[in-house]
Amino acid sequence: MIALAALAIGFGVSWYLASSRPIQLESGTWFGEQARALADFELTDHRNLPLTRAELTGKWSLMFFGFTHCPDICPVTLQTLDRMLGSIDDADVSAALQVYFVSVDPYRDTPERLAEYVAYFNPAFIGASAPPQKLRQLTGPLGIAHQVHQRSGDSENYGVDHSGAVVLINPQAEFAGLFGAPQDAAAMARDLTRIVEHH
Amino acid sequence: MRLLLTLLLTLLLMIPFLVRAELVLEDAWIQNLPPSVPVRAGYLTITNPSAATVRIVGLRGEAFTRIEIHRSTMKDGTMQMESRSALEIEAGETLRLEPGGLHLMMYPRQPTRPGDSYRVILEFGDGETRNLDMVVRK
Repeated sequence: MIALAALAIGFGVSWYLASSRPIQLESGTWFGEQARALADFELTDHRNLPLTRAELTGKWSLMFFGFTHCPDICPVTLQTLDRMLGSIDDADVSAALQVYFVSVDPYRDTPERLAEYVAYFNPAFIGASAPPQKLRQLTGPLGIAHQVHQRSGDSENYGVDHSGAVVLINPQAEFAGLFGAPQDAAAMARDLTRIVEHH
Repeated sequence: MRLLLTLLLTLLLMIPFLVRAELVLEDAWIQNLPPSVPVRAGYLTITNPSAATVRIVGLRGEAFTRIEIHRSTMKDGTMQMESRSALEIEAGETLRLEPGGLHLMMYPRQPTRPGDSYRVILEFGDGETRNLDMVVRK
């Protein structure tokens, strides 16, 4: 009887430890219990549909912030995310993930341009943007910095600084983790597989 | 004797060209992007086996309105583009222009297509030039 009770306690403790132990990621930071609910925001996606907190519930979202006139970092990151999805063996895991490319350059990145851009990398990717004030409702709480440089003279050619990080949002629309630049497709695939399978 | 001197002088005058001929350009490619995006990033690996530093002070190509030298850098938590006036390849060094770092910022006159090849002219610090063919990759 005592042995049985000890066994039960042992199982209980190990189950408790397994469920509360923070997930150590190879290539990113997992916030665990510190995951924070997102504030309300409203962007417009590349299909001209609203993208709000509600759309983020039910799936794991990976969000990258950039702009289409960015020839180096943005293509690299979107190709990495595409390769990452391709290297996940478990179809249930990849089906639980949604990649978003949020443009911090709404002046040039219209929904039409975003539609062409995201589809080039992966037809399942969703592109979205909003005027600067609305963008900050999402990027501010996520700690994603971005800055459009003064457009002087040459109105179509200007630079945009932006965070290189990929944000992870859980199916409860909480900010749950971060993958810093440069991202590694294989390591990210392993990390996300563990996260999705663990939940 | 005079012939030997002439030959020696000719060889000496040719040294800058010999140095140039030694520069090894490899893996030159352009990242394709959808037609609505007016810029492309170009990459290549430059090896300088000579004993002198080589400077590439400009790049041009008929198919481009301009080609600039840029570097993506992480500053204050954001990725920024830094403009460079030249590429300097020190004696015996290899300089890699690769995704996420040093790259060419290219403005093609027409949208690019994977598989297309573009002729680019490298301008060196001493006024010499050299042709380079860059292939567009998806």
